[in-house]
Amino acid sequence: MPSPELLVTPGDEELSDLLLAPLWSKSRIWLLLFALTGAGTLLLLFAMTWTFSTGIGSWGNNIPNAWAFGIINFVWWIGIGHAGTFISAFLLLLQQPWRASINRVAEAMTLFAVLNAALFPLLHLGRPWFAYWLIPYPATMQVWPQFRSALPWDFAAILTYGTVSLLFWYVGLIPDLATARDRAPTRGKQIVYGIFALGWRGSARDWQRHGIAYGLLAGLATPLVISVHSIVSMDFAITQLPGWHSTIFPPYFVAGALYSGFAMVIMLTIPLRRVFRLETIITERHLDSIGKLALAMGWAVIYAYVIEAFIAWYSGNIYERYALLIGRPLGPYALLYWIMLSCNCAAPQLLWLRRVRTSPLLLFGVAALIQIGMWLERFIIIVSSLSRDFLPSSWHSYRPTWVDLSLLAGTISLFLLLFLLFLRFVPAIPISEVKHLSHETSRDEAFA
Amino acid sequence: MSRNLPVLDTGAANEGLTAEEITRRQFLQLAATGLAVGALAGCVEPPRERILPYTVQPIGVHPGKPRYYATTMPLGGYGTGLLVESHEGRPTKVEGNPQHPASLGAAGVYEQASVLQLYDPFRAKSLRYRNAPSTWNAFVREFAPTPQRAGYRGAGLRFLLQPTASPLTSALLDRIRDRYPEARIHSYAPLGSTTGTSGLLRLFGTRVQPQYDLRNARVVVTLDADLFGAMPFAMRYARQFADGRRLANPQAPMNRLYAIESALSDTGSIADHRIAVRSADVAIIAATLLRFIAAESRTRGITAPDLSADQQAQHSADERWRMIARDLVANARQSVVIPGEQQPAAVHVFAHAINLLLGNIGRTVWYTEPVLYTTDAGGIDALTREMKAGEVDSLIILGGNPAYDTPAGLNFRAALRSVRLTAYTGLYENETASACHWFVPSLHYLESWGDARAYDGTASLTQPLISPLYDGRTADQILALFLGQTDYSAWDLLRESWRTRFTAADSDLIWADSLRRGVIVNTAAAPLPVTPDWSVVTQTLANMPQASDQIELVFRQDPKVYDGSFANSPWLQELPDPVTKLTWDNAALLSPRTAESLHIESGDLLQFRLQNRTITIPALISPLHADNSVALSFGYGRRGTEAIARDVGVDVYALWPGADQYVISGADVSRVESKNAHRLATTQDHWQISGRPVAVQQTLNGWRADPDFTREEREHAEALYELLPTAEEQWAMTIDLGICTGCSACVVACQAENNVPVVGKAEVLNSREMHWLRIDRYYNAEAGSGTITQPMLCQHCEKAPCEYVCPVNATVHSDDGLNEMVYNRCVGTRFCSNNCPYKVRRFNWYNYTMGWSETEQLQFNPDVTVRARGVMEKCTYCVQRIREAEIQARLENRRIRDGEVVTACQQACPTRAIVFGSITDPESQVSRTREQSRLYSVLNELGTRPRTRYLARISNPNPAFESS
Repeated sequence: MPSPELLVTPGDEELSDLLLAPLWSKSRIWLLLFALTGAGTLLLLFAMTWTFSTGIGSWGNNIPNAWAFGIINFVWWIGIGHAGTFISAFLLLLQQPWRASINRVAEAMTLFAVLNAALFPLLHLGRPWFAYWLIPYPATMQVWPQFRSALPWDFAAILTYGTVSLLFWYVGLIPDLATARDRAPTRGKQIVYGIFALGWRGSARDWQRHGIAYGLLAGLATPLVISVHSIVSMDFAITQLPGWHSTIFPPYFVAGALYSGFAMVIMLTIPLRRVFRLETIITERHLDSIGKLALAMGWAVIYAYVIEAFIAWYSGNIYERYALLIGRPLGPYALLYWIMLSCNCAAPQLLWLRRVRTSPLLLFGVAALIQIGMWLERFIIIVSSLSRDFLPSSWHSYRPTWVDLSLLAGTISLFLLLFLLFLRFVPAIPISEVKHLSHETSRDEAFA
Repeated sequence: MSRNLPVLDTGAANEGLTAEEITRRQFLQLAATGLAVGALAGCVEPPRERILPYTVQPIGVHPGKPRYYATTMPLGGYGTGLLVESHEGRPTKVEGNPQHPASLGAAGVYEQASVLQLYDPFRAKSLRYRNAPSTWNAFVREFAPTPQRAGYRGAGLRFLLQPTASPLTSALLDRIRDRYPEARIHSYAPLGSTTGTSGLLRLFGTRVQPQYDLRNARVVVTLDADLFGAMPFAMRYARQFADGRRLANPQAPMNRLYAIESALSDTGSIADHRIAVRSADVAIIAATLLRFIAAESRTRGITAPDLSADQQAQHSADERWRMIARDLVANARQSVVIPGEQQPAAVHVFAHAINLLLGNIGRTVWYTEPVLYTTDAGGIDALTREMKAGEVDSLIILGGNPAYDTPAGLNFRAALRSVRLTAYTGLYENETASACHWFVPSLHYLESWGDARAYDGTASLTQPLISPLYDGRTADQILALFLGQTDYSAWDLLRESWRTRFTAADSDLIWADSLRRGVIVNTAAAPLPVTPDWSVVTQTLANMPQASDQIELVFRQDPKVYDGSFANSPWLQELPDPVTKLTWDNAALLSPRTAESLHIESGDLLQFRLQNRTITIPALISPLHADNSVALSFGYGRRGTEAIARDVGVDVYALWPGADQYVISGADVSRVESKNAHRLATTQDHWQISGRPVAVQQTLNGWRADPDFTREEREHAEALYELLPTAEEQWAMTIDLGICTGCSACVVACQAENNVPVVGKAEVLNSREMHWLRIDRYYNAEAGSGTITQPMLCQHCEKAPCEYVCPVNATVHSDDGLNEMVYNRCVGTRFCSNNCPYKVRRFNWYNYTMGWSETEQLQFNPDVTVRARGVMEKCTYCVQRIREAEIQARLENRRIRDGEVVTACQQACPTRAIVFGSITDPESQVSRTREQSRLYSVLNELGTRPRTRYLARISNPNPAFESS
């Protein structure tokens, strides 16, 4: 029998106090982390300004590696975001109760990941002040974007995803903001939360409409889990570059996205759970479930690796064979390739063991390896394919510069910074949903 | 309304209204008037100076339309006729002069880059005496009294020049010799080898110079001679040779080239047999060939001396020499053996003895009087000796850079201090300038009046395309000073010199015609009859050293900076070396096996020690390089004021023991440990073609057996959607790999024509060079010379992969078949580069338009946009030239003629390997190349349908080689 989603059945008052406590308390640790991530964000701003003012030349890109860290980071961040939507929207539609406590964290993770991701298509442009030309607006030049290219699709997908995620997250947040408003210790906080609560009164009608809106948005968000990363994968799949030109890319990338996303959810919820003493609300059951999901996605990714390599061999095409079977495992980035396989394929096999899935420390470790492995996977896909393509005369390697590394580290800092702000100012655990679950659990027990 | 407002008489007084009572209508009137007055008051007074509009144009000048002027560029003493494109009074692009024998319409690497040198911001701008700026008048005051000194016969007066064939300079030098019998005139150039002349002097007893014509040669053998790259007349030989293998079908006759050399050169690259041997061993090989040919001739009943006496001196029992000898004899009277300029005299004796035996004289080789001005004053060592002995009072150095490029053993720079008065004229304040008292900036040939002779003696005039940019003078003007002609301009000197040479009646007419045409007709040197002294041959044979395995050093010309003259050219520094693709550096080239035996890799520092002098230079492994031979190229490690060249590469002159000693054995080679590994910036790092059908080649017999061997690379797969192009002309290009030597003239031409920026060594290390056209080199052990070169540029694919991935329509397809790049629409996503399988697109990673000096900007082609940061660029098939021709054709109401549109790369190519035109015209040259069965497309299987297609290289190996 699966372990329970809630270990205790506290009353509503206790739940509200417990889950609103982070909003009212001051925490030294929080300030320290905020300062650290703030510094990292400043580094990001500096690197961005440097890029805008001096040019993409400050990155490590070259011909043939015209895309490298910028796009790797973009795909990595967007991928991470998908698990959030999966947990909050997908699992809502599938009516999985264990999503209750972690879905807002997951959805916030999505939002911040999408924000970070959206930076890169802007940054990596040679002339970012004309980025708006990718938007289909009626221009006086009477030129539309070129719609056969995957980049305008990207723009549409990310815009949609960001908008829907934001709405979905916000709508789900409204009842809890009202709770915060009602329990705010100061007048100022009461006003601020009151504004954002949009006048929520908690009436039955409010709940009914809320449920419908939430469900509709979940319905909108769910297909985006599949479509957005499929479109992002088209950035590569529509080309004819060996290593990119592969029809398995859409499902492969979606699986990979969920994979890294689950890993990120694990990496966020485990410390959260520890710091805010939420072990009763984010229980072993949650860790177990996410661990299983991660393992499942990991196998989807393994399948994709195997099929990719097999088809490259089966095709007989000398360029495909070289790219997949020689360039990657034996070429200049062979070390990274094998590390990637260890992180993505070997490490997650530990998740077969329940002991690993339910141990916060071990699960966190595996998740970190998965994150690294998934970043490396995008590196291998992008850079190893570009650096050695059709004409051997144009083969050249790629090496990142301090700007590339600063942007990566900076976006991670920005992500954590936003997450810290989220924890500080917004109820991270959905109070109303946990209460709902608590009532259902005690009712079940009462009727058991 | 205050009282300070201008009061207009609006009749308010009559209406009885006071200033305080004003109606709305009046208020509006006042306001409007005030506004108008205010606006007028804001106008500035018109300037006092009057400007005049360009209503009266000079005849023939149309703003925006360039003009072409013929002129001549001197290099190594010989002149190459050129046509230079001038926009609004400034030269912007160099093309070849089809009427000049050295050019035949082509312009090589040095010629193309010379236009930028004119605008070099580091050129010297003013005269200098010791450490203070000076003037020409002061210089004249110093030297003009010389001819008037009573009883002065020139004791202690020395002139040092670069070798020259200029009739004007020669005439002036003759007059100086007459006027100053005790003065001496020396000529020196590091690459001015005299071994050829001394060898022929030994053989024939007179001073002669060989002339070659490859058009009649079925078999060509080069003995360490870079016939198509470094020799004078190289472009001409390349064209003549290419004409013998511009195969239209498998049955066409084809010539054959054997290249025997140590370092891979353009010549070796295109040879049918390239044999890598130490340069020092070429002599014994030549001797072996001579013996075999003599023996073979005798067996065929041809009179030949018996040279078989000394059988020991033979380069191994190598059957190859015997087979080559047989091939030569079978093609007697239709063959030629060409010795390398830097090979010792013995090799020249043997080579020309072979030519004599084969009956080639008068057909593929003949002899003329030496074209270069010669004196018997002795070379640079004689001069330096005299300088050190204090026998030189005044030394006038006209051009060159002897303080830098003389052999280190001479210590010329120190010797300069022993001379009382030194004067130097040069383009830069270089190593020599800083060691001389007087410095006079010299004029670039594009700003000079002068003349020159080509290698075959053809004379041509040099006319300036722009007034001198700075306060410079020509060498002729300085020489004229010593003859009392202080007021003569360069034009005066030249005109007067030629007045007497032309028939008096037509003098002006011939002068004008020569200037326009760029050639003075009927001035080629006449062939001289020669009689060989065979005893010299047997004597030289008897004294042959054996072949050896000692590591030798070969000092050679650099394919980019020549002897250092062009070291300050950013175009040439960034031009990938034709063989090694090295930029911004020189290196010690050696073979993989030699490197292994020394335990070194490319980039490791090597120290060479020779006669107590050392240099440290990075090693670069070059496949196909001869074992036990190290090639060092001159021209780097500069230390003058030329900032571009400063500290780029290593000065090899510092190791060079003596003039004419280009091949030295017995040097010490050792590896130097260094914490900072030296990084060599090559544009290509991978050389194996790995079975990919990219640069295709086949033997002649193979082609004959299977004429259709490129079918898989040529036939188009069906497409789902066939686009029908609509324009009358459909542009396309064919490149014949069989005659591309890899000389890279096209690369520099493209850079000059299209304002392609230079990015510097650090960026080249990160693979960001901007060349729109590159020459790829592949090594493949099985076929031909073992290497093949392939010019790679935008293929202008009919189904371009770059077009459908651009998110903003910045790369689109034109109606006439061009893949167009719209710079001002590009946002720089670089998606197009990812999807280009040929990787011919270039991105402006930084703003490469900053930092151009004002003079360098004058070189820009005004018909081509200069691209901003963040924008992609690539070959456009010289669209500016296409559109220009279209406009012209439309004005004249006709179709564009075949050959009217010539791309920059096509125009520069010495062998005419590149053909461009419209495939809608079935008679056009490009259409006819499309009918050839050896045509193919690179990466045909991708279905890109490129308009740039290639003719597979056909090599003509000697069948006897295969069976041995």
